[in-house]
Amino acid sequence: MASSLAGSALSFATPVKAVKTNSISFTSARKGNAFLRLQPVPMRFAVCCAAKKETVEKVCDIVKKQLAVPEGTEVSGASKFSDLGADSLDTVEIVMGLEEEFHISVEESSAQSIATVEDAAALIDKLVEQKSAEAKSS
Amino acid sequence: MASRSKLSGIQRQVLALYRGFLRTARLKSPEERHRIESVVSAEFRENARNIDRKNFVYIEYLLRRGKKQLEQLKDPDITGLSTLEINKVYKPLNLK
Repeated sequence: MASSLAGSALSFATPVKAVKTNSISFTSARKGNAFLRLQPVPMRFAVCCAAKKETVEKVCDIVKKQLAVPEGTEVSGASKFSDLGADSLDTVEIVMGLEEEFHISVEESSAQSIATVEDAAALIDKLVEQKSAEAKSS
Repeated sequence: MASRSKLSGIQRQVLALYRGFLRTARLKSPEERHRIESVVSAEFRENARNIDRKNFVYIEYLLRRGKKQLEQLKDPDITGLSTLEINKVYKPLNLK
């Protein structure tokens, strides 16, 4: 009896992978659909968060204005504030300017993690979204 | 410096104080705000250039003084910079 059940289990796996059918009956086993429930269902959620293009462009404008970047200097999402000549005091001013422009409030710990335009834009989008969510709930 | 290294505790305090001044300046009239921002920015940058970053005693003294000045500035009745004492003479030896 035990050996016959083992035989059934061994023969169970291969046909399912090959045929991919939901209706398989086992005359030897009492619970016909018991093994089907044991199959794990893989679930994958891939979420990619990228800042909106308009936010990046606005951030670039504010950075140029704040740092008095020479005309013709390229400022893009990948630009690092330090590469543009900003020291830590400049970065504080940039973040303050962004707060006013987008009507948000940036935590100090968040502000210190900002190193590029993309960092700032992503954080802004996140905070703006949070703020609108709070407005809807209230 | 290729990228920003992690800030030391005292650096964070300085930046937090700077943020505090800029936030408070927003609450004043536009003309006064601009003036406050200019003075505060100049003060912080001059200190950044002139003070040895290892001189923790003096830096902590400046932080304490700055916090007191900021508290004064937060008073709504304070409309100007007259209460800010801008000390342009650095005499760290006097502290000892």
